Amino acid sequence: MGVFDYSREALENLKIDDPGILDRLVDFENARTVHLNKDRSKKDKRISLKEAVAEFVQDGDVVLDTGFGYVRTCIQSHFEIMRQGKKDLQMIGAPNTNQSYMIVTGSVRYSHNSYTGAEMRGTDRNYTRQLKAGKVRILSEWSHGGIAQGLKAAQLGSPGLLSKQMLGSDIVKYNPYLKVIQNPLKKESDPSLFIPALYPDVTFIHVQAADKYGNAYIYGPTVNDLAGAAASRKVVITAEEIVPEMDIRCNKKGSIIPFFYADAVVELPYGALPGSMPGYYYWPRQWWEKLMRFSAINEENIGKFIDEWVFGTKDQIEFIEKLGGAKWMIEARRQTKAAEGDNEDVDFSYQEYTVNNDPGIFY
Amino acid sequence: MKNDAPANPLEILAYIISAQIKDHTIVYVGTGLPMVAGILARKTHAPNITMVYESGGQDPIQGGMPWSVGGPFTWRKSPVVMEMAYSFGQCYNGYVDIAFLGFAQVDMYGNVNTHMIGDDFHQPKARLTGSGGNNDLTSLTENMVLVGLQTPEKFPEKVDFITSVGHLRGGNTRKKAGLPGNGPVAVISQCGVFDFEPETKRMRVKTLHPGMTLDIAQMCTGFELLKPEGEIPLTPMPTPDIIEILRREVDPRGVFTSLPSA
Repeated sequence: MGVFDYSREALENLKIDDPGILDRLVDFENARTVHLNKDRSKKDKRISLKEAVAEFVQDGDVVLDTGFGYVRTCIQSHFEIMRQGKKDLQMIGAPNTNQSYMIVTGSVRYSHNSYTGAEMRGTDRNYTRQLKAGKVRILSEWSHGGIAQGLKAAQLGSPGLLSKQMLGSDIVKYNPYLKVIQNPLKKESDPSLFIPALYPDVTFIHVQAADKYGNAYIYGPTVNDLAGAAASRKVVITAEEIVPEMDIRCNKKGSIIPFFYADAVVELPYGALPGSMPGYYYWPRQWWEKLMRFSAINEENIGKFIDEWVFGTKDQIEFIEKLGGAKWMIEARRQTKAAEGDNEDVDFSYQEYTVNNDPGIFY
Repeated sequence: MKNDAPANPLEILAYIISAQIKDHTIVYVGTGLPMVAGILARKTHAPNITMVYESGGQDPIQGGMPWSVGGPFTWRKSPVVMEMAYSFGQCYNGYVDIAFLGFAQVDMYGNVNTHMIGDDFHQPKARLTGSGGNNDLTSLTENMVLVGLQTPEKFPEKVDFITSVGHLRGGNTRKKAGLPGNGPVAVISQCGVFDFEPETKRMRVKTLHPGMTLDIAQMCTGFELLKPEGEIPLTPMPTPDIIEILRREVDPRGVFTSLPSA
């Protein structure tokens, strides 16, 4: 049998009778070998999104969702994964909002779940339905912080770390990777939770700017992406802009992902759509409201929504056209700059999407 | 145009939450009403609080009402935006005083469920979001305040899934599970404010909102509420000045504080 001693209680509760499916996420030796065998040369790694998805996403891979649900998240890359019909992926992320619609087309089959939803827009009824229909299997339950610590442990170069999160909760009973152990330095009882280092197979990270080698600059919340880039076997950087290396060296002081993690670099302006991108564009808020309040409620609606927005667009440029084209671009930039305090305040009132009132606009 | 309509229940809730916040503290803010309350506290009795958010935003300068905890208003000109792991680490290390979160269910010991309704994990009546940061904050933060509507279904004797440990099975079971902090110190609903009896750690009525009776609060609860000794005080209500600040400066569009019209 396998090399990992997973929690039996969790395997039973989750009805996992093929625990080998859990291995890749925590297989450090394999991840290290993959990292050692990566081409180190500082070369021009630019390719198209289509090429990147075709080459670096294999059916069954563990995919890390990045950014924060719909903030600087690589959603256009997810859409391309769906268009290319990639299958049986395991999705992990904190949050992992975007796995929900990817289950519908069979791209995502397994979930390492932390949070599926879109905050106040309501419960994601699509996820409930897919789960009950057996179209997605939960392989492990996590808190946001648990996934953050697992990825951080990988970045720190540690087999795992001891956490005080999730102790005593039912999450531990539904996560085969977690073990409650005694803090070895304490004399008295001090239960602590061992969280293993997490190694996803493939991670797309959307950034504000990157050079052609893959040095990537993030402005705004990095969330778990610096750790995710260090941990993941394969890393694809998608960027709003490709800048000269000297611009990264001299001007981009802040959060940088070093080039040697990156397997490919994709110039992908508006690659976070329909999410927001700090410094570049605000959310098309009605898109998410319609997804959660109307499209997620039954199979027919979600199917139409995916047909319209994913398969009905070939790239982010067609997506922008559907959102309202140049008018949307101008409003989205004004709003994000204002929200960040970088121009005079604009009026943030907007016509919300409700089931009884579809304003038909996205700003 | 001045809106001098009486405060609605959501506005009252926002005020009661804000009243839990002491000045000069670090406040971890979840999505929805807690965001409104934090900003209201800062504009009224607690101008010197530092607000922190799960996406990593720390101490943003004042802006509008965030559409998301990851939105720009949560890290507007922040001196630092922390990675997620560090932002929860801040709670464990004692640099957060109080946190506010919602729930789908909360039980008599303050355990929280945001995972599922039903008794079968694989065929739930409803699958909910999962933990998000709820478990992390409830596990680690010194003082946790839970906010939500009170019905017998949402206040059951036992939650359907323990997403976040409050006082687990009462007494010192939270500490024995290895968790730091005081755990939940208050639950705020449309009925009243509740605390936890120090020995048993069972939920206890602290104050009732004007117009509420103990009987009504009990009818909205799926377990027996403990009562304090003596007469139950009334929850202090917001003054018209505070309601005006809430409507004009904090949530002018009524995103979180207007009642659904349909």
